[in-house]
Amino acid sequence: MQRRRTIAACATCLMSVAAATMPLRAAPGVRTDSVAPLIGGAADCVVKLYGTAAGREHGYGTGVLVSSDGRIVTTLSLLVNLRGVRVVLPDGRRFEGRLERIDERRQLALVKIEAEGLPFLAPVPATDLAGGDTVMALGNWFKIAEGNEPVSVCKGVFSVRTPLEARRLAQDFDYIGDVLIYDALTANPGAAGGPLLDARGRFVGLVGKVIESVSTNTRINYAIPSEEVIAFLGGEAAEPPREPAAPVDPSRKPYVGVKLAKLGYRHVSAYVERVRPGSPAAEAGIRVDDLIIAIDGRRIADADEYDAEVARLLPGQVVPFTLKRGAEIVNVEVKVGVAP
Amino acid sequence: MTHANLHRCLAWVLALFACGARPSGTCAADVAEEARQFEVAKARAIRNAVAAIAPSMVTIETVGGAQPVRQGMRGPVEESFRVADGPTTGLLLSNDGLILASSFNFARDPSIITVRLSDGRRFVATLLARDQIRRLALLRIEAENLSAARWVPAGEIQVGQYSIACGHGLGASQPFASLGIVSAVGRRNGIAIQTDAKTSPINYGGPLIDLDGRVLGLIVPIAGAGGGALAGVGWYDSGIGFAIPRDRVDDVLSRLRKGENIEPGKIGVVLAPLEEDPLDEMFRDLFPSTRGVRIAALARPSPAERAELQAGDIILELEGRPISDVAELQRKLSDRAAGEKIVLKVKRRWRTLDVAVLLAAPKDIGPFDTPEEEEEAGADDAELPPGDDDSNQPTTQPEGD
Repeated sequence: MQRRRTIAACATCLMSVAAATMPLRAAPGVRTDSVAPLIGGAADCVVKLYGTAAGREHGYGTGVLVSSDGRIVTTLSLLVNLRGVRVVLPDGRRFEGRLERIDERRQLALVKIEAEGLPFLAPVPATDLAGGDTVMALGNWFKIAEGNEPVSVCKGVFSVRTPLEARRLAQDFDYIGDVLIYDALTANPGAAGGPLLDARGRFVGLVGKVIESVSTNTRINYAIPSEEVIAFLGGEAAEPPREPAAPVDPSRKPYVGVKLAKLGYRHVSAYVERVRPGSPAAEAGIRVDDLIIAIDGRRIADADEYDAEVARLLPGQVVPFTLKRGAEIVNVEVKVGVAP
Repeated sequence: MTHANLHRCLAWVLALFACGARPSGTCAADVAEEARQFEVAKARAIRNAVAAIAPSMVTIETVGGAQPVRQGMRGPVEESFRVADGPTTGLLLSNDGLILASSFNFARDPSIITVRLSDGRRFVATLLARDQIRRLALLRIEAENLSAARWVPAGEIQVGQYSIACGHGLGASQPFASLGIVSAVGRRNGIAIQTDAKTSPINYGGPLIDLDGRVLGLIVPIAGAGGGALAGVGWYDSGIGFAIPRDRVDDVLSRLRKGENIEPGKIGVVLAPLEEDPLDEMFRDLFPSTRGVRIAALARPSPAERAELQAGDIILELEGRPISDVAELQRKLSDRAAGEKIVLKVKRRWRTLDVAVLLAAPKDIGPFDTPEEEEEAGADDAELPPGDDDSNQPTTQPEGD
């Protein structure tokens, strides 16, 4: 009896140890020691790019082989230009890369080397990537990998797919469309142009250049979704800018009918100073001293942003305005009119 | 216990052990599938945790305000960081509209603060108070029936447990979430836990959560002791992030609710190391615990003056703990707030005294006495050596403590 009790106690003890060491409540029967099988041979398809440094652009980067005959996709930068770029394969072979095509809207470039029978990665749409998913990025960060050394690998968690307002070296970042945001640190020199892999080891994105988010002033770790890579390789033109251009008919300017308080040249909050009687603003119930804080969900920080946002509206469109009135938030719908 | 029960029990144990020990002959495809299954399970765990906290997270938008002013030419380098437009993150602390965020999010002193709940409703928020030590801010919105976050009791937080740093700073539809572990507890004189999850303006003010979606701490930038409104932001995404656990929030919550800002508390003295006097050294050899820190000069008015401390006094202990050098005393005082009382053991000539000092904010402390010739040298010595972990404390200023 004594022995039995000891065994039972041991069993309970072992069970709790086993339960505690099962990380992240994975299903039983799961090996957790490595993502190596997921990365597979991806590193064999990643090349190192070298060129001349220009200004604050680093003279090195990463590219992904996308065909057995030596097509390499990478991000657009001064590194890949008409003078060509030096390409070093994972086996150490060196080639002169010829720039075949670029796409400024997608920030992508296609480079060709004269070689055959190479391993390559086929881009796979990132559409089923969900928050929390494991992602892995490969790249020539800080040009640590030399000669026949393979590039470096890091692992992180994917968060969200979102448009990103960003700057690059004090200029606006021209990419249009969504990016993939994750927490692996790829905002490093040389990382751009490397593949982002999902938990199946599929090539779901291309790591982008180092940029700073306008909303945080910090460097963002992101990738261009593979859909854009696929479309680029297929020769599709990039989508036009998502923001509609100013109305084609210059005589039909959008009109709301509020005058904002302005203090000289200073950026001031969008306080309503006057509402024209009978105007769309008056119809919607906007009042003097309201503060316009958002139009169609987009935040309005100051009078200039208000002007820019209104210029984008189309006459006849019904747009939600978010106002601060005293300590209240008031939502109104403005039917945009035509400037008299 | 019957045999049948025992057998069932052992079968369980064996089944659980089988998880870890697979036969080595498994083929590559199986290994890849197992590795993928694990990542899938992990992703699901993260998603569930984030989904559990999401209704308690708010997006903070601000209008107006200016960049914080860099304090003097020798201010900390972080203050060259320019605060962006946001949005930033906050956390529902109560069901009736109390919101906890980071003071970093309000470094620009915005004129208007609005808060967007996870259901899209917007409210005007009032900033009740800031804690410059824990880098917290408390806001209130006029709303009810909100989903206050669930917290992990501080005593249950373990180094090594998974942690997820969540934030709305990208303004995206879903929160940003970075996975890491708890790297340390009781950091910065016990006010913070440390994580290697990526923290940045994207999630300052947001929750660091466990896999159940419970809050381990509120994510804040903290670098060294003291520092300006932006100290610590230079460490963003570095793998060294900080969060304030619930008990350390509760320490100051009632004061913050009353609208009291919490500022670093100072004594109002210039500190200097003990002179290397042969007699002193002999004394120290005899009584190793009697090292201390000399008061080189007093500010007037100041807490030191009110407590009748004198230039030349040697501080031996703080709250019953011996003090061996200036850096140690500064570090131990760095999380004390104005309005708190501390007890110093002080040696004055041949006497030792216990002196209670009510700490005051730097703005309530007057100019320093001009130290005498020899003491002036001592005041300069009060500077910490470069590279000390408190190096972004403005130690070059005599009002250091």
